[in-house]
Amino acid sequence: MGGKGFSGFLLTLAVLCMGSVQAEAGDFSLRGFGTVGLARSSSDHAEFVRDLSQPLGIKGGEWSGRIDSVLGLQASWRATDDLEFVGQAIARLRYDRSRDPEVMWAFAKWEPDARVSLRAGRIGADFMMLADSRLVGYSYLPARPSADFFGPLFFSHFDGADASLTLPLAGGLVRGKLFAGETREKTSGAPGIWDTSGSPVAGMVLDYLQGPWLFRANYAQIRFSSDINFAPLPFILRNVIGTPQAIAAADALVTKDTKTRFYSLGIVYDDGPLQVQGMLNTIDQETGVFQNSSAGYLLAGYRFGMLTPYAGVSWWKSKFKPFGVGLGIPDLDRIMAASGSDQTTYTLGARWDFHDNMALKLQWDAIRGSPQSLFPYARANGGSGWNGRTDVLSVVMDFVF
Amino acid sequence: MRRLFITVCFWSLAALPMPVLADLVVVANPQSGIAHLSLDDVVNIYLGRYRRLPSGATAEPIDISDNEMRARFYRGLVRKSLPEINAYWARLVFAGKTRPPLVVESPEAALRRVVAEPGSIAYLERSQAGRQAKIVFELND
Repeated sequence: MGGKGFSGFLLTLAVLCMGSVQAEAGDFSLRGFGTVGLARSSSDHAEFVRDLSQPLGIKGGEWSGRIDSVLGLQASWRATDDLEFVGQAIARLRYDRSRDPEVMWAFAKWEPDARVSLRAGRIGADFMMLADSRLVGYSYLPARPSADFFGPLFFSHFDGADASLTLPLAGGLVRGKLFAGETREKTSGAPGIWDTSGSPVAGMVLDYLQGPWLFRANYAQIRFSSDINFAPLPFILRNVIGTPQAIAAADALVTKDTKTRFYSLGIVYDDGPLQVQGMLNTIDQETGVFQNSSAGYLLAGYRFGMLTPYAGVSWWKSKFKPFGVGLGIPDLDRIMAASGSDQTTYTLGARWDFHDNMALKLQWDAIRGSPQSLFPYARANGGSGWNGRTDVLSVVMDFVF
Repeated sequence: MRRLFITVCFWSLAALPMPVLADLVVVANPQSGIAHLSLDDVVNIYLGRYRRLPSGATAEPIDISDNEMRARFYRGLVRKSLPEINAYWARLVFAGKTRPPLVVESPEAALRRVVAEPGSIAYLERSQAGRQAKIVFELND
């Protein structure tokens, strides 16, 4: 963490702590959430990250608060019975290695009827179930959402609108939602920072709730507004080498105007002390830069008083796109290999709700993958001794106020 | 001797602090047009899933800040502890999806709100319901 970023984070923390009592005055409310987390990853050769938006991770057995620590503040004002304004700012590790506060949400919500909700402004990217509450550690059981499942999702929000409709159906509730807008985010990526601002996104969500069951189907897509800067490689492939195979490889390096499609299914069973979640996703990438992947997870926990032990398994596997194989260009081979993922994670942990609105979690993740599993990590290089295996220990304290 | 033993046992048991096993009830405004709410209706309203009353009006659920009463209500309703309910609301509130129930300080304040606002519903001890509000659901905790 850079000095400026860290002092900014501390300043934000101090400001928030000074007003840390949840304030509600009439129809105005001020709330917050946060996580103070320490984690260590045993491997020396790849840096474990929560998701691909993080430019730095943890490695080498050193304890660090880098990846999980976050602080958020949310203000909402209910202007009328049907109209509410919500704004949320957070400080977390960003693409540029700072922890400068950023606006996560800023929207108006209109609910003319209990069945209908319309939101417009900056809203959460509901690309997969629970994706828009990934940073609110207090809201879920494990130390962090599955990195195998949510890792490739480096978008948190978009500027646009969504509309949802909820209706009773067959003894339960069915809820449909449509959303569309444009991203305003950058991400760290090799090489450098990739600005995806202005990329159109759209998607739909279908939920069915009945008793303790929740079923969800999700579809989302994004069309990238810009290319990743691989210069001068595309020029060399197209104009210096110029063979059909080299031109095809240059075409594969284009991301501008290519679409990525996210498909996911989720099931949650939440009955009294028992919670079980299972999710599957498939990500289809038109560009050759990113491999197509599929992932899933299963997590179960059972509460005993204030203690909830849990166990889970997750996996993330991609399919290699053989562009440029045989051209003998190391930079190209490295790019094509960089988005490979092939790993399974076994998770054991416990959540202890030791105080009102505070929870302490201890978690062990055993990641077992192949040396080709590079995409899930920051600054991982094939052939550098990385064997695809690391053990991550985490101690986090989550709170809301 | 046997009679003395039974008498001592009886009074010893009687002297123990027994929990008050009063049932909680959910009440609504008599003008709301609601005759009865099902368990699913109450769960959907209190968990923010679907806040439409059978009459078509929007339901405004009320929570009571007394943790003991609140814990009894949610334990009876969905077998969840307060930390689980708080975690549930953290997810919805910080994703900007749904507002949690309005929190008032006391059962008396909840009852006043129900009497004043036709869409409001609240949970109370049966003995607190009085005649101003209509019992629309009984929760055996």
